[in-house]
Amino acid sequence: MMSATTALPNGIYLRESLTELRKSFRLPQFALPTIITPAAFFGLFSVALNHAPPDQIAYSMATFGVFAATGPALFGFGAGVAVERETGLIELKRVSPLPASAYIVAKTSASLTMAALALALIYAIAIVAGVRLTPVQWVSLAAVHLLATLPFALIGFILGMRFGSKGAIAFANILYLGLAVVGGLWMPVSVLPGWMQMLAWVTPSFHLAQVALATIGVPMRESLVLHLAILSAISALCLWRGAALWRRNPA
Amino acid sequence: MGTDLGIVASLDGVTRRYGAVTALDRVSLRLAAGEVTALLGPNGAGKSTSVAILTGRLAPDFGTATLFGVAPTRPAARARMGVMLQSAALPDVLTVRELIALQSGYYRDARPIEESLAMAGLEELADRRAGTLSGGQSRRLQYAMAICGRPDLLVLDEPTTGLDHAARRQLWATVRAAADNGTAVLLTTHYLEEADALADRVVVIDGGRIVADASPAAIKQSVAGATIRCRTNLPDMRLRQLPGVRSVSRDGAMTMMLANDAVPTVRALLAADDGVTDLSVVAASLEDALANFGENHEEAA
Repeated sequence: MMSATTALPNGIYLRESLTELRKSFRLPQFALPTIITPAAFFGLFSVALNHAPPDQIAYSMATFGVFAATGPALFGFGAGVAVERETGLIELKRVSPLPASAYIVAKTSASLTMAALALALIYAIAIVAGVRLTPVQWVSLAAVHLLATLPFALIGFILGMRFGSKGAIAFANILYLGLAVVGGLWMPVSVLPGWMQMLAWVTPSFHLAQVALATIGVPMRESLVLHLAILSAISALCLWRGAALWRRNPA
Repeated sequence: MGTDLGIVASLDGVTRRYGAVTALDRVSLRLAAGEVTALLGPNGAGKSTSVAILTGRLAPDFGTATLFGVAPTRPAARARMGVMLQSAALPDVLTVRELIALQSGYYRDARPIEESLAMAGLEELADRRAGTLSGGQSRRLQYAMAICGRPDLLVLDEPTTGLDHAARRQLWATVRAAADNGTAVLLTTHYLEEADALADRVVVIDGGRIVADASPAAIKQSVAGATIRCRTNLPDMRLRQLPGVRSVSRDGAMTMMLANDAVPTVRALLAADDGVTDLSVVAASLEDALANFGENHEEAA
């Protein structure tokens, strides 16, 4: 007689996602840097200072696009989850009827939207600088860039569950810059020292950049399947770790 | 199964340890529809752990927790529960109305938002951002979020901390009204006044064990009185025979007596022992009284 039936109200995922976005946009001091920084770096180093031909700019666009996708995911999850865990908001969500997945989906949607804005800026600069791709290439590149949000969201989530807000922000910064350098997002991996080139293989940023480059027709040294397989393995590992932290944490 | 009618949540023989510390020791508790149960006890007594297990945030090491007939971790159980946690900071940039609307959207049969605002006395503050609210206003917002879904079980963890007298009265009135409409209410507090004003039943918890489960009147009676501290050479047995003495304990050379009324007891004490020194009398604290309550009622419980 007391058994409860589960039927969630319609639109619960959508409302949670819109609220998350609203939160992000009402804190422009956090949202704007992650949207503007990648485009500013790209415009400055790859276009303005370099006078590179369009195919080199396209190369940079592919790798800077991965950089643009990592920021909102690392900071939105890393700092966001850590703060909301510390203040007790996650605990309040967990005792409410909101499914845990809706919390994650909302944060991911907000990160994807931020990433989309950052990417739009980068693509606009590239087009102005003379980059021309086929429609299929544009669509596949944008898809790879947006999907790059997911492994970084998982990494950010682990930071947020594992560290306090100050620690999570510090680690997010280190990973934001470190994974960009080692993964060859700012300059090709081939110009890095040998040990860094080895290290690149365990970073998701390197493999995402390689996949992004493949979509615009840059010849690859290794097979696409290998990069995708390693990316899947890294994501699965992070997902497993993140889920374990979520289950173990009473708050 | 007939006796289970109306029981919405229960702990049965629940034990929970944190490392070497036993936070809850074989605790059993039943919450009935339409009844306000106050969980009363000093800090660290096990109140929050009990609430955490009942709301599915923590699993018991031994024993079982049940919420609406299922495990508290099941989403189906949470759909019928409203919770006000002891400390939860809400996102600063969202308004009172937005937060209540979001929370209402988690429930299938939520109240109209204006009704939730009114019940928590938040009409004037509806468009303010949560970050601009005072501590008491923020507690009222959290209360509105707990009741907005018309829950069958309302869990309030120290709900009136930080509220002024008028806000406290208003909250009590709406909790009472919810209970009268059949909601089961679990309230943790260390204010006896609050338990007395609201609860049908007071469960006293101390050191992870339930030491009393009685009406507010019975608990109140045990708390009234004074603590007399002194150095005396009289043995405990003699002290217990003094008029109005309910319990005697010692802390090093000091003797503590809990008495119904200080004056006759002190008069008799001084008459019986002219070597009394360091005498002081203070109103009995809740903690003294609860410890005493446990001692005196163990056989009865």
